[in-house]
Amino acid sequence: MKWITARRRHPLAGYVVVILALALFGVGYAALAPTADQAQARTLAADVSSQDDADVDVAEGRDIYDQTCATCHNYDGSGTTNGPDLRDVGPAAIDFQVSTGRMPSMDPNAQMPRRHMVMSEEELANLIAYYNAEIRNGDAGAPIPADVPGHAPDREEFPTPVRADFEDEESYEEAVEEAEAAYEAAIEEYEAEFDAYIAGADNTDMGMKLYLTNCAHCHSWSGGGGALTDGRWAPEIHDASPRQIYEAMVSGPGAMPMFSDTVIEPDEKQELISYVKTLQTEPNAGGPIDLQRIGQVAEGFISWTIGLALIVACAIWITAKQRAHD
Amino acid sequence: MSKTTQAPKALRGVGNFIDDRFHLAKMGEKNLRKVFPNHWSFMLGEIALYSFIILLVTGVFLTLWFKPSMVEVIYDGSYERLQGVPMSEAYASTLYIDFEVRGGFLVRQIHHWAALIFLAALVVHMLRVFFTGAFRKPREINWLIGVGIFSIAIVEGLFGYSLPDDLPSGMGVRILQGVILSLPLVGTYVSMFLFGGEFPGEDIITRLYMLHILLLPALLLALIVAHFMILWHQKHTQYPGLGHTNKTVVGTPMFPAFAVKAGGFFFFTFAVTAGLSAFVQINPIHLFGPFTPTSITSGLQPDWYMGFLEGSLRIFPNTLDFDIFGYAVPVAVLIPGLGVMGLLFGALGAWPFIEQWITGDKRAHNVADRPRNVPVRTGLGVAGITAYGVLWLAGSNDILSETFSINLYLTTYIFRVLVILGPIIAFIVTKRICLGLQRRDRETLEHGYESGVIQQLPSGEFIEVHRESSDETVEILSSKPTITSTALDETVDDKGVESPESRKGMGKLRRRLALWYTRDNVSVADVEAHSGHHLHHSHSTEEQDKEPAH
Amino acid sequence: MTDKTNNDNNEPDETPERVVGTPAAEEHTVAEAEAERSHEGPYKASETHQRPEEQQRRGEKIASLWFILAFLGGIGFLVSYFVYGPEEIADPRISQFSNALLGGTLTLSLFGIGAGMTVWARNVMPHYEVSSPYDELPSDEKEKSSFSAFFMRSADESGFTRRPLMRRTLIAAMLPLGIAPIILLRDTGPLPGDKLKVTPWADGRRMIVEGTHREIRPEDLAQDPYGMISALPLMHEDDYGENVHYPHGISLNDQAKSVILLIKMPTGEDGQVEWGEGMTEERRNWTHEGIIAYSKICTHVGCPAALYERTTHRILCPCHQSTFDAANAAEVVFGPAHRPLPQLPIGVDSEGYLVSTGDFSEAPGPTFWDYAKD
Repeated sequence: MKWITARRRHPLAGYVVVILALALFGVGYAALAPTADQAQARTLAADVSSQDDADVDVAEGRDIYDQTCATCHNYDGSGTTNGPDLRDVGPAAIDFQVSTGRMPSMDPNAQMPRRHMVMSEEELANLIAYYNAEIRNGDAGAPIPADVPGHAPDREEFPTPVRADFEDEESYEEAVEEAEAAYEAAIEEYEAEFDAYIAGADNTDMGMKLYLTNCAHCHSWSGGGGALTDGRWAPEIHDASPRQIYEAMVSGPGAMPMFSDTVIEPDEKQELISYVKTLQTEPNAGGPIDLQRIGQVAEGFISWTIGLALIVACAIWITAKQRAHD
Repeated sequence: MSKTTQAPKALRGVGNFIDDRFHLAKMGEKNLRKVFPNHWSFMLGEIALYSFIILLVTGVFLTLWFKPSMVEVIYDGSYERLQGVPMSEAYASTLYIDFEVRGGFLVRQIHHWAALIFLAALVVHMLRVFFTGAFRKPREINWLIGVGIFSIAIVEGLFGYSLPDDLPSGMGVRILQGVILSLPLVGTYVSMFLFGGEFPGEDIITRLYMLHILLLPALLLALIVAHFMILWHQKHTQYPGLGHTNKTVVGTPMFPAFAVKAGGFFFFTFAVTAGLSAFVQINPIHLFGPFTPTSITSGLQPDWYMGFLEGSLRIFPNTLDFDIFGYAVPVAVLIPGLGVMGLLFGALGAWPFIEQWITGDKRAHNVADRPRNVPVRTGLGVAGITAYGVLWLAGSNDILSETFSINLYLTTYIFRVLVILGPIIAFIVTKRICLGLQRRDRETLEHGYESGVIQQLPSGEFIEVHRESSDETVEILSSKPTITSTALDETVDDKGVESPESRKGMGKLRRRLALWYTRDNVSVADVEAHSGHHLHHSHSTEEQDKEPAH
Repeated sequence: MTDKTNNDNNEPDETPERVVGTPAAEEHTVAEAEAERSHEGPYKASETHQRPEEQQRRGEKIASLWFILAFLGGIGFLVSYFVYGPEEIADPRISQFSNALLGGTLTLSLFGIGAGMTVWARNVMPHYEVSSPYDELPSDEKEKSSFSAFFMRSADESGFTRRPLMRRTLIAAMLPLGIAPIILLRDTGPLPGDKLKVTPWADGRRMIVEGTHREIRPEDLAQDPYGMISALPLMHEDDYGENVHYPHGISLNDQAKSVILLIKMPTGEDGQVEWGEGMTEERRNWTHEGIIAYSKICTHVGCPAALYERTTHRILCPCHQSTFDAANAAEVVFGPAHRPLPQLPIGVDSEGYLVSTGDFSEAPGPTFWDYAKD
């Protein structure tokens, strides 16, 4: 610390402290601000297409239900004080809540943030099959919109083979390549499906109007989310798949109102989802730093802490006292 | 170094040509010799000036393509995502500037960043002038002009923000209209006349455009020119220091050094603005989408300089609203929407005269105050900053609520309390800090500064060696003015009779304020400077080094 | 200003009496003849610190480097302009490159010039501070009284004070002209009339989902125990006259005041909605099968208040957080708004479509002074 003691009376010491403080402030802000695309990878949860297949196992679904859901929602789905009645909510709600990782919840009183799904795609399909067979009231609630693209395939669904299972190096490498190829093919297939869904929408005005008049007041124009009352919040929807957005609209999770297919028809929903998904992947024409698209608050902050601070630093350089005069 | 005294022929020719017509040689020399004190904080106003120049230049560029029209068109420009969307011509032409004019996007972003920095520079410049007392006689009029520039600049910024007719900008206009409507008796008329009918109508952007590019910039330019002519005439204030007196200014002459420095500073200001515009996206109107009166987004914010008004609109309770004979008086819109702005500019404009009235100080001041030496003014300034800051933060309470997971209503309650308590606490704390610094100054003056060197005396006692301060420091410390007020000494005449003036209500108030204003200050009048009797020794002697700490 | 020139002259020997006693002035008066002779700059040697030649030479080199950098930046800026054509920048990805390239080179160029000039001023130019007197601001008594005498004499000569008839008629002549600019502003807009109170909603007007042109029936909301949708009135050809056409079929002015929030309230065990106390019998009749319509425009300053929480049936305005209770006649439960959102009476027409059965219960939009008067 000696060098500090020696220099703390230097004419520039005060400025250095100010600049350091500003820098610290900036770094602190950067650390607090939510990181972009943090969960981009997490988006890639498994595809739900398997649920249409015949190989669902209702019995396993029951096991999952009894172990993870029944504590709060009761064994017959009629709900308890800790969890609501599930009999009328429909499979779309189940798929939404579980695939976004919000259910099963650890704390029934708190709003759940988006997480990685806790069960596998297959387990979810089984759970939903059990729900449809045993718990759902007839055909109450909205069905799962199977033709809307769900999540990109998860890397974990295509496990890399274990070396010990193979006799020689060659066959092992072959298996690794195969798994890799299968994963890539699944990704490609998903992307094609996704692009086709987005491209199927051609009325930007309708999508924009529907989004900005019915969604943006909570989820913000950019899908960045916003504050609700009582400490709740409307989540950001960057990571949500088209199917999850669709399911959220028809099932109304949490405090969100419902938009059934008769109020906003499926093709209108497609316009809406395409609008927000296109907007989210839109590159930032104005510069690589987009300030999380928060807008004016962040811009004002930058104009003070970066803009004005840099200019003042230049002024300090220009007017700094020089040795000759000391 | 060449020692030329004769100007080159070409220059001489031009010089003579001009002088023959204007008789400028004498005045020219005087102005080139104009002295500017050196301190970075004296360049804050220059940032504002240069930002303004950048705004003028980039603004002219933008007008080449911008169409201030609210006619609804179906967009068919080259920005693919919005093709086929109905929008106003104003929004479509802004997209044209962004995506079809090379460099248009950059210039629009420079214009916006420069506007934010312009306002920020105005604020810090104003704070510098306030805290150093540079607004005192003879500069009160220039202070008032500055307040005028600040208020017009805010309105100018708001109107500019409204022109592209994108989603947030249209909401800004909507809120403006809502505030206008709240005016008793005339609100509906003013709104109808300003908007050419109902909101949004088809005229408002054309009218705001005229105000934004013609009337308000002309006013700003005129005021800025007046500001500079007065500054030029009265010369700059200076911080206390050797040779710095109320009669003599010390600094760098205009020509050559200051001219080159100021020129370089313009390029720095422009460079920072351009750098931000190159890499940080600002106000992405092409992402927001066009304005429609039925759409809204969460996290809606104005530019930062309007934030304090937004904040006061958010936290003002509706309990004071009342009806009179069935006519509504929406106090919760009137006070935060118009009253807060009036209060801010009223207080700023009136302060030099209030201070003069309290102290009765009619002298001219050219040496700036050190903020610590005028604790009440400094305290009030910090209280003002605190109030402004709290309102500003309150303007983003939804973003704070979301970012830090605090109950939205709770943030409102917190800000309601803070906006009252914050300034009071800030005042008390600041005043205490100022007085503490004054005491330290007095100690430094008396005993020299703590050198950081610890010595052990033969007795075993440890002391920190105090060194004598430099002449400059001694001059600065000992020149601390004593704060007095004429209100305190003229009240009782020789016969012990109170003067009639001080017995009246205003006189009493003034006396009370004067007491509050002058109380607690640390005087240095009786202090013999530590280095006083050694002033001419350039090295401290050994005895001094060992002088124990007091 | 010019007649002050003498006072402001910087020559030290012309201002002795003004600066006597100050340290700076002391320095001035001590004529160091020798130093004066060895220094030929514009200011006295005692005030200047000539840079050593070595430092000047180094300064020149550094400044030149900055200027060369600036030159390259400037050339780069000119070149960047032609790198991407106007057709290419329509792609936001290219636009970002183009913007960063243009801005980056411009920044380099500007910063280079600024830095070079600073180095020049700080290392090549001699470093000094000079002192100069502040102007004596008040004129002396002689000048003042001379001015005052001149002014009063001339004013008297003009007869302005002595000829009241002429003076008053001149003032009278100016008055109408002074008022004229204000009068001329009269045609900037129509009088308010009832424009702020009357909307296109009337008995039997259908409503459409905003963004689409689909009319709404009550059954559409039947599947939504907690539904909400933003809706507009359905306008007909003849509403605006023949040649008027709007892209959305409805003018922005009408959108701004007639947009509504249709909310489907959840029903309890008995199939009835649990309305709050504010829902009078009349207001309940304005709903249809648990569907209630409120103006979407906040009564505070006019943002669309659309943030509907189905669990708390609150409608919140995202601008200033005024909160209204949808189950209780949109009474204000929090925030700066003072009056409830106006309710729109709704019903069903013969073809089964949702229609308004009248205009809003109160004037929609921000509260204005006579909103409650007819």
